[in-house]
Amino acid sequence: MDFNLKKRARHDVKVEVISLEAKYPHNVMLYHYPPTEDIHIDEFEDLALERLRLLRVFDRATTKGLRILSDDWKEYVNAEMTKDGLRGYLRMGMASSGTKHEADVQMRRRDYLSHFILRLAYCRSEDLQRWFVAREMEFFKYKFAALSTAEIKMFLDANNFQIHPLTEEQKDEVKDGLYESTVGQSVSKIELLEFYKVPFTQVLDLVRTRRCYIKAGFAYVNTHDMVSIVGARQLEEIELGMQAAKAFIADVEADERIARMIKSLHNSYTGKDYTVCRDESVPIESLDQLSKTSMPLCMRMCHEHIRSQHHIKHGGRMQYGLFLKGIGVTLEDSIRFWREEFTKKMDVDKFTRSYEYNIYHNYGKKGSMVNYTPYSCLKIIKEMAAPGDCHGCPYKTMDPTSLKAKLSAYGLSAGGIEEVMYFVSRNHYQFACGKYFMLTHNSTVEPTINHPNKYFEESQILMGNRQKRAPGPAPASNKLRTGIKGGANRSMLNGDDDDELWRIAETQEKVYQSQKGIAEAFDDDLDLTEIIE
Amino acid sequence: MPELNTEQDTQPQATTESKAPAYDPNILPDMLPVYYRRLFPHEPFYRWLNYGHSEDNIFVNREISFTLQDDIYIRYLCFETQAELEKEICTRNPYKIDIGPVMNIRPKNFRTVAGGLTPVQRELVFDIDATDYDDIRNCCSGAEMCLKCWKFMMLAARVLDVALREDFGFEHMLWIFSGRRGIHCWVCDHTARHLDARARAAVAEYLNILSYTNNVARVQIGDRTHHSLRRALKIVEPMFEEIILEDQNLFGSPKGVSKLLQMVSDEGARSDLEAYLQKSHEDGAHSKLIWESFVRYANSMRTSAANVWSRKLKHIVEEVQLCLLYPRLDINVTKGFNHLLKAPFCIHPATGKVCIPFSASAVGKFDPTTVPTISQLLQEINAYDDKTKSYMDAPEDKSRIKDYKKTSMFKGVVVFEEFLRKLERNFKTKSMDF
Repeated sequence: MDFNLKKRARHDVKVEVISLEAKYPHNVMLYHYPPTEDIHIDEFEDLALERLRLLRVFDRATTKGLRILSDDWKEYVNAEMTKDGLRGYLRMGMASSGTKHEADVQMRRRDYLSHFILRLAYCRSEDLQRWFVAREMEFFKYKFAALSTAEIKMFLDANNFQIHPLTEEQKDEVKDGLYESTVGQSVSKIELLEFYKVPFTQVLDLVRTRRCYIKAGFAYVNTHDMVSIVGARQLEEIELGMQAAKAFIADVEADERIARMIKSLHNSYTGKDYTVCRDESVPIESLDQLSKTSMPLCMRMCHEHIRSQHHIKHGGRMQYGLFLKGIGVTLEDSIRFWREEFTKKMDVDKFTRSYEYNIYHNYGKKGSMVNYTPYSCLKIIKEMAAPGDCHGCPYKTMDPTSLKAKLSAYGLSAGGIEEVMYFVSRNHYQFACGKYFMLTHNSTVEPTINHPNKYFEESQILMGNRQKRAPGPAPASNKLRTGIKGGANRSMLNGDDDDELWRIAETQEKVYQSQKGIAEAFDDDLDLTEIIE
Repeated sequence: MPELNTEQDTQPQATTESKAPAYDPNILPDMLPVYYRRLFPHEPFYRWLNYGHSEDNIFVNREISFTLQDDIYIRYLCFETQAELEKEICTRNPYKIDIGPVMNIRPKNFRTVAGGLTPVQRELVFDIDATDYDDIRNCCSGAEMCLKCWKFMMLAARVLDVALREDFGFEHMLWIFSGRRGIHCWVCDHTARHLDARARAAVAEYLNILSYTNNVARVQIGDRTHHSLRRALKIVEPMFEEIILEDQNLFGSPKGVSKLLQMVSDEGARSDLEAYLQKSHEDGAHSKLIWESFVRYANSMRTSAANVWSRKLKHIVEEVQLCLLYPRLDINVTKGFNHLLKAPFCIHPATGKVCIPFSASAVGKFDPTTVPTISQLLQEINAYDDKTKSYMDAPEDKSRIKDYKKTSMFKGVVVFEEFLRKLERNFKTKSMDF
């Protein structure tokens, strides 16, 4: 299916054959001309998600407080990119070896197109736009920093930058200033480097941080800091582009397929897959303790609900059960945990009949054999909790008074509660959760919480119980899901997907169960029936 | 500008004639009409804001605000001509006049124009307030300001003025004593007026080297000393002993010593230093002794082996000096495109003093304690009138001598005129270029 981005009637079919290499001659290009080629909707989504993962890498680097382009920053970004399967983008940030591969050129195309796709998704509000522009600029600097002097020259020529290096005499006149005030370069290096003289307004980031020599309104910038000059232009380019995108966003959204995707894009979860826990197993005996130290509020409340009520409704079982799987509770332990609690209220027979199956199911051992993914924050926040339910995101579902009481009971100071409530009152539930994390862990860095399992993992790492995971291959379960949904990535796009999976699974179940004639399976509280409604 | 210095030195005779009457805020409303009618320099004030009419609407789209008696605040005023501005000032007699940005439209139409007001240009402004030095002022606090306090302002003006000139190439700085406890600087160059918000923030941060962690101000010089900091040090260093050690005797109490210690960012080094100082001095030893010990200790530590003193604390002595004497800017005033700032030649309602321009090059001779109050000024014109009455039996307006020239406000107006002369010369050469 062809997909025409601009929705503009194009009567003449372009018969131009431009090689990709001519179209995308450089790794670093100012995103100036919007792409006009037709692309398949699948690729559209694919590109968008890939870039989103890319930008989130930079987001995490920033949240960690690493200074952009510092060695730590580069190391972190490179490691995260490898982990997230963004090797193509990673290569763009490496000094080029000179030989051109077809793959590199293809990557440039992906880079170029995906940038423009995300403009559509991020021109929708000031906040989104600010986030997007900041991340894009980080990526731009990342790429630009890898260019050689020759490549920089090519880039400057290609983009009509009218700046010329100082002559030896000119440089000599200001050399004391250059020695004194060029940050990040040794004196011997400064002698060799080329310097450019530009109005200070073109390199505001260097001015702000006092990283260059500045005299009579002109900044003296060396090749390594050139990125500031070029970046200013790129920034302008993107900001203007975003305004333009805003102007025709209504047209684009007339296509429902795209509208749905770009609206949910920013909030979609592209984080780590916790379907299969690769850490050592967590014994259920430690759950009481862990719920106090390392579980986010949503899970801690589920846990306490089970311990006190010896029962939890379907939504809670799904949310908490999958979470437990994600932190490393084995199938056997899981069954034992639920059985011990539930049988305080019912006989073992009823438990086995009505609930045990569901646990096997969650672990991918029964029915459709799908290994279910633990819920992300996004999905949990979307859950509509009914009275008697204890799942969902407590920051969203609880009324402020009882939430405050809860936080206070969990040992937060009045000041701490205020800080958490500040975010709650602005509907930033994940920030609230992050704040709660900081307060309960005496941590100075605020983690970005987008998954309860991430919360747990961060907590364990902080307490020294777990090592940070070395970058490894993507979990094998992805393949499993790929087989079913035709793309693990895409299935993360909207949180309803798990429900869709359920429906598929459930149809198969019904057939299976009716054949077996296990009528009693459908009693008052069977999970599958609830989903149908 | 040497010719200006001499003028500042010659005190107008008026001040010595009679003892200045004390300022009484209660009769300010009675005095303001006379002040605005006879003394406020309406003509140069207008010439300033009109910038030689170098750009369209530069005067008429300027937002002016008045604060009237009882804190009645009127924003979005604008005026078509000098006469209109003068008339409004003289009929409303504002307690305070504030100057905002030049807008895209007449500010008074802000309600009727779709899209509202957008600032188009505005001077780059700086605001330095003595209260920001409270933690290192032992002479005064809060709104008070004595000659010792003024030295902080003096250094701030010198450091900032030269940075704006040399680094950014600005020429037209108008320095104002705000009438009580602070100073303002208006940078009026064309480029400065047209900087966007991002550029203003960058300039503000470039010039603001103090960072605060847990309310402790610190300066970090880094590996090499940036030329702007080196230059600031050259200005600040010679005054350090006089201001910090003598005038303020800042380290002369245990509390003061702990202030010095807090500026050492490394915890281990800090406690070593603390032990050393405690061992060498009794509580309440004079600042000079403490400082000498501190410098000696830092230097000796640095030469011994590679340690924190030779790395992170390599520049600690300079850092402390800058930390105490480098201008403490209110950078939000500088960053804001929309920020209103009090106009020169207002009367400060609390002190009655004129908000008066001074010359940065002669800032050392400026004395805020002798800046005339409105009461003093009115007495001065009366005295002048009395003296000349005997041989002036002509109609009232026969004397072409401007009233402010008869008073101790004269100096300030001269500084302002001088500033304007240079500013306007700039427009003349500019217009001849084209």
